[in-house]
Amino acid sequence: MISLENVSKSFDGTHAVQNISISISDGEVFGLVGPNGAGKTTTIRMMTGLLRPDKGKVLIGGFDITEEPLKAKSVLGYVPDKAFLYEKLTAREFMIFIASVYSIKKSDALTRIENLFDLFGIKEIEDELIESFSQGMRQRLLFASALIHNPRVLLIDEPFLGLDPFGVRMLKGVVKDLSRNGVTVFLATHSLHIAEEMCHRVGFIKKGSLVSIKTREELKGIEGGLEGLFFDIGR
Amino acid sequence: MLAILIRPKILSLKNSFSTAVFLRRMPFIAIGIMFWILFYIGTYKVLSYVRSIDLFGEILSKKLFSMTFFSLMGFLILSNIITAISSFYLSKDIPFLLSKPVEIRHVIRLKSLETVLNSSWMVMSFIPPVFFAYGINYHASASFYIFISLAFILFIFLTAGIGISAAHLLARIFPAHRTRNALLGAGIILFILLYIVMKSVIPRDLSTPEELINSMMSFKTDSPFLPSYWITETVLPLLENKGLDIFYFLVLLSNAAFFLLVSSFTGMRFYRDNIERIQPSGRGFSRGLSKGFYPGLSKAVFYKDTKTFFRDTGQWSQIFIIGALVMVYIYNFRSVPVDAMSGMSIFIKELMVLVNIVMAGLVLAAVAARFLYTSVSLEGQAFWIIKATPVDISRFLWSKFMYGCVPVTVLIMFLVILTNLAMNVKGLLMTVSSLTTLMLCISISGLGTGFGAIYPKFRYENIASVSMSLGGMAFMLIAFSVVLITLFLEAWIFYIYHQGAVMDAGLGITGKIQIAVCLILMLSTNVAAFYLPMRVGIKKLEGMYVNGS
Repeated sequence: MISLENVSKSFDGTHAVQNISISISDGEVFGLVGPNGAGKTTTIRMMTGLLRPDKGKVLIGGFDITEEPLKAKSVLGYVPDKAFLYEKLTAREFMIFIASVYSIKKSDALTRIENLFDLFGIKEIEDELIESFSQGMRQRLLFASALIHNPRVLLIDEPFLGLDPFGVRMLKGVVKDLSRNGVTVFLATHSLHIAEEMCHRVGFIKKGSLVSIKTREELKGIEGGLEGLFFDIGR
Repeated sequence: MLAILIRPKILSLKNSFSTAVFLRRMPFIAIGIMFWILFYIGTYKVLSYVRSIDLFGEILSKKLFSMTFFSLMGFLILSNIITAISSFYLSKDIPFLLSKPVEIRHVIRLKSLETVLNSSWMVMSFIPPVFFAYGINYHASASFYIFISLAFILFIFLTAGIGISAAHLLARIFPAHRTRNALLGAGIILFILLYIVMKSVIPRDLSTPEELINSMMSFKTDSPFLPSYWITETVLPLLENKGLDIFYFLVLLSNAAFFLLVSSFTGMRFYRDNIERIQPSGRGFSRGLSKGFYPGLSKAVFYKDTKTFFRDTGQWSQIFIIGALVMVYIYNFRSVPVDAMSGMSIFIKELMVLVNIVMAGLVLAAVAARFLYTSVSLEGQAFWIIKATPVDISRFLWSKFMYGCVPVTVLIMFLVILTNLAMNVKGLLMTVSSLTTLMLCISISGLGTGFGAIYPKFRYENIASVSMSLGGMAFMLIAFSVVLITLFLEAWIFYIYHQGAVMDAGLGITGKIQIAVCLILMLSTNVAAFYLPMRVGIKKLEGMYVNGS
């Protein structure tokens, strides 16, 4: 479902990502961990089409994000780490806008919006302007908007930023359900315990290079688990 | 402390400047210099002509000088009120500044300085050619240039003091629906004041050339209580090499200091309270419309932009400036004595129609800079949403074009038709001028949208600052050039057509060829102004990658 083939990206001669190759199958939850500035966000932005790789290919649902961006984007949902939204729209208006962008039929869109608002606990504040939302509520709204078109791939950068423990628990449940329903989830995070708990496989990125990929089972066999490995590799 | 607070802005400016940036901006600088020269030549020629009129020449020339300062005073006060409200109450750095251990007086000083610079830089950029034209035409000595610069700086501070104080008071007086009503109040008060002033200064009867001169002379710009009078009286004697009138210079200096103190006092008294009243509440929007209405893909961006526009005070407050422009415009044309002037030339009506479209073109360029040029930048840092979703960029840009083009066209067409009717223009002339205006509205809207896509600015303090950027200014200059080229060609068509009529020989083959060439050039200029920037804009946005989400 997701395939990165020798993907590289540099900024002003500095390598942000170097020759990353990953293949992620349907329904798999894949975590990308690494220290600050390792290249996690750059990788995810290349997967969404926000950045163009200097070298290599990114395939989402079989579509090349550079060659067929509209087709690739129509099967993916993206939750960024910083929630810049249209501040002067209400949550409902924002969702209607996003639904229109994905050309979802009106009746389907309105039903999905209701369901997603219920799921993410936004119902109460659906007619308030986004500018008055807390960080946690913005994050919930971002998740809801990323799921409105039933994506086959969900890309999440720092998924639990600003969420309270209720929000974290709810989102973990959502991600697990999505995975069970065949949606591929790619998440970049600093939260090692969450990556360990939720991901089928975890990749380690350091100075732009993918240095290791471990399955959940392999991690269980390592002393100190993911955290031990992280400090070992990250040193 | 002010030096510390202003340092990030200076450093940002310094860091954004490099040889590469300078070279990239060279074309814009060249266009600016070209306009400076043209503006100087135009003012000099008008001044030479006015001074050559028997008996009234010198008086009229001085009257023009004082009228310039009178208009500038009104413009600067209005501009300062609007900018102060944006700068003090709507800027994104306000929460940051207020959360730091910085005394409120330092924040007020910083914001006052920002207001002065943002509201007057355009006037400061375009007024020197006028001063040079006057100085050179009157063979003034160096002291004229020195004192007019000093006096003008004082004039700017004085008007800023008045504008900033008014902004604090308005934000204080209209607390109920926060800044929206404060700005609405500002707009209404300004409209009423402008209406009263215009009504009182423009006499009704302008049926003869004498009345025209009389009406100009009776334009009450010379009250000794007006700052425009003080600056005029400071520099006029220098223009005539009579030496400086120190009294009015000191009046200007003391009043500039006084009004800056008043603005500081009103700021200290009201700013903190006012800022607490404008915290976003977000409540109170009915769900009726959004519940039932569901825009299709092509309408979604338009719908979002319209909603955002009406809810964002920083955006719609600029309508007041446009409103003032329109008001002045209509009154100017209501007072044009076409019948009295018809003795001067038989083509006076055609000439006035062309002048009308030139004036409308100025308003069009200003409105398009504010609403069309900024439309792509308006996405702000939420532009990632457009890039990360399957939005076709060309449809996105077309939607932006429609968002601005429709209201702008309605406004400008309304202006031109209304003023044409006031001048008793009918038939073919009305049709031609309406079609020309329509063509200009479409081409300038395309130019604005396309230019805005070529030079987007997604990170801004307030949206008004985007249209004031170098790209915005370049757009305005190019837009106005398109208007001038179009109307020059149209004037030539009128000339050829009338020449044929006067000679009573009809249009010869040369005349027909000339008209055809002019028409082709007119159309191709407008098509190029519309199409090329839109095309380049789409390519630019398609190729643009977002580094910050």
